[in-house]
Amino acid sequence: MNAPTSVEGAAMAESEPPARDDGLSQKGAPGWTRFLLTNEFGLVTLIVIFGAVFALGTPGFSSPFNLFTLGRTMAIDIMIGFSMMVVIVTGGLNLSVGAIGVCVAIGCGWLLEVAGAPLALAIFAALALGAALGALNGVLIVRSGLHSFIITLATMSVFFGLMLFLTHANAYRQVPLEFSAFGKMRFAGYLSPLLLVSIAIGLLLAGLYRFTPLGREMLAAGAKAAAAELSGVRVGRTIVICHALSGVLAGIAAVMVVARTGAAIPQMAGNLGQDWLLPAFLGPVLGGTLLAGGRASVLGTFLGAALVSELTNGLLQFRIGEFWVQTWLGLLLLLAVLMDLARRSFLARRGV
Amino acid sequence: MTPVISRLARTDWFGPLAVIVFATIIVSAFDPSFLSPFNIQILMLAVAVNCVIAMSQMVIIAIGQMNLAVGAIGGLAAISFAGMMQIWGLPPLLAAAAALALGIVAGLANGLLISATGISAFIITLASLSIFKGANLGITRAQPFYGVPESVKAFGNTTIAGPIPWLALPAALVIAAMWYLLYRQRIGRYILAVGGNQSAAELSGISVPSAVLWAHAMSGFLAALAGVLLVARLQLGEPTIGDDWLILSFAAPVIGGAVLSGGHVSVFGTLFGVVIVAIITQALVIFRIDPFFVQVVLGLLILWAVGVNRLREVRMQRTLKRA
Amino acid sequence: MDNVGFEARGVRKTFPGVLALQDVGIKLRGGSIHALLGENGAGKSTLIKIITGVHRPDSGEMLLNGAPVRFEGPREAIAAGIGVVHQERNLVPRFSVGENILLERLGGGLLRPIDYAAIHAEARRWLDVLELDLDPRTPVSQLNVAKMQLVEIAKALSLRSRVLLLDEPTASLTPHESLVLFGLLRKLRDEGVGILFVSHKLEEVQAICDEVTVLRDGRNACESRSMAGLERQDLVRLMIGRSEQIPNWTPRDRGAAEPMLELRDVSTSLGHKAVDLTVRRGEIVGLYGLVGAGRTELAKCILGLHAITQGAIVVAGRPERIADVADAVHRCKIGYISEDRKQEGLVLTHSVLQNAGITVWRGLANRLRLLGDRTVRSHVLPFIRKLEVRTPSLAQTVSNLSGGNQQKISVAKWLAAGARILIVDEPTVGIDIKTKAYIHELLRQLADEGTAILLITSDMPEIITLADRIVVMDDYRIKGDIINDRSYAPMSERIMHLIHDRDAA
Repeated sequence: MNAPTSVEGAAMAESEPPARDDGLSQKGAPGWTRFLLTNEFGLVTLIVIFGAVFALGTPGFSSPFNLFTLGRTMAIDIMIGFSMMVVIVTGGLNLSVGAIGVCVAIGCGWLLEVAGAPLALAIFAALALGAALGALNGVLIVRSGLHSFIITLATMSVFFGLMLFLTHANAYRQVPLEFSAFGKMRFAGYLSPLLLVSIAIGLLLAGLYRFTPLGREMLAAGAKAAAAELSGVRVGRTIVICHALSGVLAGIAAVMVVARTGAAIPQMAGNLGQDWLLPAFLGPVLGGTLLAGGRASVLGTFLGAALVSELTNGLLQFRIGEFWVQTWLGLLLLLAVLMDLARRSFLARRGV
Repeated sequence: MTPVISRLARTDWFGPLAVIVFATIIVSAFDPSFLSPFNIQILMLAVAVNCVIAMSQMVIIAIGQMNLAVGAIGGLAAISFAGMMQIWGLPPLLAAAAALALGIVAGLANGLLISATGISAFIITLASLSIFKGANLGITRAQPFYGVPESVKAFGNTTIAGPIPWLALPAALVIAAMWYLLYRQRIGRYILAVGGNQSAAELSGISVPSAVLWAHAMSGFLAALAGVLLVARLQLGEPTIGDDWLILSFAAPVIGGAVLSGGHVSVFGTLFGVVIVAIITQALVIFRIDPFFVQVVLGLLILWAVGVNRLREVRMQRTLKRA
Repeated sequence: MDNVGFEARGVRKTFPGVLALQDVGIKLRGGSIHALLGENGAGKSTLIKIITGVHRPDSGEMLLNGAPVRFEGPREAIAAGIGVVHQERNLVPRFSVGENILLERLGGGLLRPIDYAAIHAEARRWLDVLELDLDPRTPVSQLNVAKMQLVEIAKALSLRSRVLLLDEPTASLTPHESLVLFGLLRKLRDEGVGILFVSHKLEEVQAICDEVTVLRDGRNACESRSMAGLERQDLVRLMIGRSEQIPNWTPRDRGAAEPMLELRDVSTSLGHKAVDLTVRRGEIVGLYGLVGAGRTELAKCILGLHAITQGAIVVAGRPERIADVADAVHRCKIGYISEDRKQEGLVLTHSVLQNAGITVWRGLANRLRLLGDRTVRSHVLPFIRKLEVRTPSLAQTVSNLSGGNQQKISVAKWLAAGARILIVDEPTVGIDIKTKAYIHELLRQLADEGTAILLITSDMPEIITLADRIVVMDDYRIKGDIINDRSYAPMSERIMHLIHDRDAA
């Protein structure tokens, strides 16, 4: 229900005690109930519960090898989630994450195999390609003033089609040994370095939103573009940067896939890269990043994506309907948004 | 003469129609066989199924939402149709009716979730896309159903007269029904009114939830119909049916002048949008351009169309200001 | 004799955490025009939404022709014969005028298509009643705002309602169109219709209303009393709880101060022609005009949102080419406080700290381009304190604060940014009377400290209270320039004279 805000405000101001210095100098202490109601806490609980159930239910789940593969998948899903999160923050979305990812992977494979570029250069150039494609999305959105949905739907088709057209749908399998070795590397028998990369990038993103003017401007532009613009934020430029960042993050996910499989394959994310869409939205939405924009939960997205990978892996381990996995994930997404709705109305009723 | 042209130029269907005529002239100049009866039949087959797909998205665009699950509903209906005939031995008409009913139920489920929770159609249909697609794979274990009766195969591959295939018949009925519904029936007007200005519709006493339910039920029905027609045409129930509908389902209505925020769609514009896509696909084959290029062209067409629609809107507002 | 068409008694309505209406009553007699008055936020809109079935009251009863009624939605209120013209535009833009008028009565059946000829003929009748020469087949999107407003009134009339609610119906009408409307309302009244008329133009209320109900802070300040014997001052006193006061500030002459913002013969892409305007250090220049005169648009051109096509903008003596708002804010130190606080002024879903600091993030970042909350807090806190913003903490979400406190935050962010020039657009719309006086004092104090202020307002008492000089704008041109001597009657007369000059010439 949309209460007239002015009425609401006036009534609240009168009931408020005149809070002065004490109120302003320190942050409101977060209550325990509030913490228990956060998404992040809920996700950790679910991850632990499902982890326990899977570990007890099937011996395969907690084997070092399975934990290692789980960690690798998780790393990739987390990156895909991040690549969507950074544009959801602007109140938009990016349907072309999968297509950009495949372009980056194929670009990287081509540079390594055909152009014979050194590994570091190939990865760097491929990620730059991701940034360029993302920035192109951003420029089209800002210039046309159209919603990002239709623009990225179109570019998803264009990027993917161009990639197939240029490579004739060829895969590149001559990936340097040290690269695929990195994908196979294990710390302490079960920890994939890819997961460490994801954690590091998550920390960087959290820092971006907390400790840099640019990150703050992204949030402000996403919450209310007109207000941000009139306060001196260059909203258009900020949105382009968000989309470029989304391209880079999708690119990192793709490079991780190449490291894992040791090859760059055009079909790695399904037709048009559509297979990435579900994990891309599942992470942020489970993590409580509002689709309305203006808010980002890096930790939530991280945990959300982790939960999704854990569930997928566990269900496959249990061998219950391998083919039905998509259905479970769809139901999970539905459940997540419904839970979020319930939580919000609960908090609103308590007047928090 | 000029006022006639300028009035025509303001309609949604005139631009796409001009493009069709122009493209036909050019392509047939390079390759006269483009207008051969055989080629026209191929074009009509593609248009028949694709325009049902496009209409199923168009009716949701009319109400100002989107339906990502169009392909998944179509795919599920397709494999159910084929599966019911192969495994349960149902007669084709009964199986088709059941598959269409399944489509309506799936659409209603989308509409119900959207209007009951107020969550964006994007998220709800993304979730249901994955639920339906998962069910499809779970039922088929990713293997096609081959047991499609001869009568169904014949329906999908024979012609009524000259180059006109039987499949064109349901498509033509759908087009006529959509036109009648959206421009001459209350429920269609209400769907467009909700898309045009939801609060106005609400304050006039129109029930927004029921308009949303109707739109999604229609969308589900049409998606299922497209799935069934595709089974007849492909002669088997492929689990991958519907995987590549998403882009086309948005491209055609948008080329036909649909406003994505809702309230305005054009049935004939959408039909012409489908025809344009079919001609271009065919032209790429004729000019021996890599078929992968179709994706690129589709994407560019969407960008071009939304750009043109946007310009028209801006120009309309500007003439208004001057008036 | 007591011909009460609609009555509400003891209506109470709460929204989560807010008491919007308390024990409110109103009696709407057939054959009378009844004014509903109150300041923004007094509860007028909530009451209307309850009468029209959009909201349901928590308690209290409503009677229609003496029988209790309860509306579960707008549809039921319409069916019961309550017609309403809402404040927001409620037409479907792509539909024809006729179809909009009869939207919920299109008729037709599965095999019987909608008969548009009949619909347009029926619509024509109601347009004729309004003396509106308009083809009912015209799409609404091709009409101007005033025509749309009249179409909505035709729509409400077509329901043949015995009870008609009009929420600010004249806001976008010309004086002539308003007169036609008033004639029609009187005719309807004489036919026995009960009309509820909401307006903040007290002259109109005095001209056509027979009875009045005033709301203040969600309660009745008076209920359904006769307008006879009520003067403007009495109405104002009922609305705000005391009479209008203009503080007795001494006029200041800033004629000799250094010009901070000068527009020299400026034309813009939005249609401004040959605008000359000077705001000096420490001066408050009031830019007065009616809605649509082009004042907010001029502000946005100065800020670089729209192109200047001719002439020059001079800031503190230096001609500047302002590329975008960021340029205006960071380089030229121009701040803009928007009239539309919810869309353009504040990021309502963000905290006080984020909102107050948004203008200074770039400037406060350290050499590594990093910036923590602590830095922002220490920079912003003095200004929040100076403006006495009432908030439990800096982490509070701005949407939870009152309109007045929100406005203080939009001022604070420009103080924090060190703005030398402030463009203030309708600063006290939707703000309670106490905070309004405070904001006035604050603006005056800022000017005394040297800020150049361009005040855009349509509120005559406000401009005469605050401005040192008044510039009148109409139809995207400057009509004249008056030194304000703060005597209400002669000043307002001179201002109105400048605006209506156009009609005379």
